[in-house]
Amino acid sequence: MLKRVTGEQWIALGVILIGFIMIWQITGIPKSTGYAGIGPRFFPSVIAFGLVIAGATLLIQSRPSKHPETEEKTQDPDHPLDYEIAHPHWRMFSIASAALILHMSLIGFIGFTLAGTLLCFGICLALETSHKIRDLILSFLLVLGLFHLFKWLGLNLPALISGGFL
Amino acid sequence: MDGLHDLFTVGFATALTYQNLLWALIGCTLGTAIGVLPGVGPAVTVALLLPVTQSIDPTGALIMLAGVYYGAMFGGSTTSILLNTPGEAGSIVSALEGNKMAKAGRGGPALSTAAIGSFVAGTIATLLLTLLAPIIANLTLKLGPVEMFALMVLTFAAVSAVLGNSPLKGVISLLIGLAIGLIGIEQQSGQARFTFGFAPLLDGIDIVVIAMGLFAIGETLYTATYENHLKAGVESLAGRFWMNKEEWKRSWKPWLRGTAIGFPFGTIPAGGTEMPTFLSYSAERKLAPPEVKEEFGKGAIEGVAGPEAANNAAVTGTLIPLLTLGIPTSATAAIMLAAFQQYNIAPGPLLFDTNPELVWGLIASLYIGNVMLLVLNLPLVGLWVQLLKVPRPLLYGGIVVLATMGAYALRQNWFDLLLLYIVGLMGFLMRRYEFPVVPLVVGLIVGPMAEKFFRRAMSINQGDLTVFLKHPVSLILLLITLAILIVPPLLKRRQALLKVS
Repeated sequence: MLKRVTGEQWIALGVILIGFIMIWQITGIPKSTGYAGIGPRFFPSVIAFGLVIAGATLLIQSRPSKHPETEEKTQDPDHPLDYEIAHPHWRMFSIASAALILHMSLIGFIGFTLAGTLLCFGICLALETSHKIRDLILSFLLVLGLFHLFKWLGLNLPALISGGFL
Repeated sequence: MDGLHDLFTVGFATALTYQNLLWALIGCTLGTAIGVLPGVGPAVTVALLLPVTQSIDPTGALIMLAGVYYGAMFGGSTTSILLNTPGEAGSIVSALEGNKMAKAGRGGPALSTAAIGSFVAGTIATLLLTLLAPIIANLTLKLGPVEMFALMVLTFAAVSAVLGNSPLKGVISLLIGLAIGLIGIEQQSGQARFTFGFAPLLDGIDIVVIAMGLFAIGETLYTATYENHLKAGVESLAGRFWMNKEEWKRSWKPWLRGTAIGFPFGTIPAGGTEMPTFLSYSAERKLAPPEVKEEFGKGAIEGVAGPEAANNAAVTGTLIPLLTLGIPTSATAAIMLAAFQQYNIAPGPLLFDTNPELVWGLIASLYIGNVMLLVLNLPLVGLWVQLLKVPRPLLYGGIVVLATMGAYALRQNWFDLLLLYIVGLMGFLMRRYEFPVVPLVVGLIVGPMAEKFFRRAMSINQGDLTVFLKHPVSLILLLITLAILIVPPLLKRRQALLKVS
């Protein structure tokens, strides 16, 4: 249970940090071009201070003592999800992330179809498919089909060879 | 009765053209399909279709997108009844009773009462929309920037405080959305804000990237990390399919009550379908005679009929603020607003004068779409059940490919894919730590509009902030805002009681 609260506190810190980054960036926006003192800085300032205050409130609220209800949850047989939350599969998270990062770095070079096939298959692996070869073939066919469907709809996607089939 | 006149002269003439009927059918079919598929919601589908709709005429495109929106509500009930995994947030309650009915071999009548109830509610709600929208549009014509800003503040408060478990998390989600909305060139002064020197950020972050990241990438990462080992079995559709006389008798009142609860909830900016479905469920439970009350929790048909009707009526209700004020009250409505903006059409009171074919065509298509959906969902339900058998890895693989395609097709820049992944990580964290996403999406879309109205209000009134308290309408709106921030804790306690019992 301690872990859950720590995660929430990290988020609270992140929210505060975003607020401060905004405040730092606001100083770079030229001051008043607006009427009656309401320039392009006003709204961002309100939001930035709001983020800092809300983040700080979350940080204070998410102390362990304030979360008695989380303990009830784990004992509830109707909520298998709570067991799953306590046992995250970070390896699968990494595989899915790797597939996405590989896709964005390759799409310009090997084209939509091949990069998309890798991505689709990577996600299948991250979801622990038990039919690897079937899913690889189906991934390819699916992405190829989408490529041609969207080409037909007039949406331009990069091909391996410009104007090619893949 | 102006509304009815316009509906029949302009609306049906537009909606009944061969092309627009086809768009409605495509929208309803797609909507049902994504409603059935767990993990894909109407918001992500509407966002995905945005790049595609650029080449279609606005009326046809919006008819299709609206079809996706309410089609998903029809389809969602199939999943919640047969799989006990709600296809979308509005069918959480019907999963309670509906799945129990399916387990007891009464899946057919549960699906029937959901579909027919959705049809009844959708049609009544559309009729209300027809009658009320022009009147409300006329009233809102008199709202100036002061009132519009107050109304947006009310919307912000409502979507962040009412939804989710913690109002604080809702507020943080809203602020993040507002902050993302600031990125790019500010319209009035032409100043670049929060671009960190990146040229691709000058245009701001596209709603497609945000919606795909939050709903598709975030959801996939979450499923891979946490939920992949949860197994849910599909109940088979054994036994009779149609409702018997007794079931009709028990269903029709809940349908009407559900509609009466759902529609007003859709029109106010309290965000989405969760609240009205819960309220309808608790109302049915309370009103049930003692022998039926015992059935609740074991598969009472009233517990499916009421919430499903409320769900659909609420969706239609969200079109009132969207069309008459240009204010979205749900994530999907927010993305539909982005679709309007894509065509440089600003929904609002003037829309009824400037684009009558579009508005009335859209409203007329709702009547037609409801009939289509009844046909698509009742006799053809077996077809949709097949969709539940798509292997989960391939389903998510396909969703992710479509999401990256939607983001990439905008500018053909890998930077958008990086943004998509970052937003996906954010969506993952929000899902894990139970931050509601609707405030973020609404903040992102409505934020820039609110800033514009605020600055306009200030320039008219020489920077006098008290003007918001001096105008009676804006004062009332701000008082309601205050009430919204105080009342939900009470309502939440009520919901908690409902869950315990």
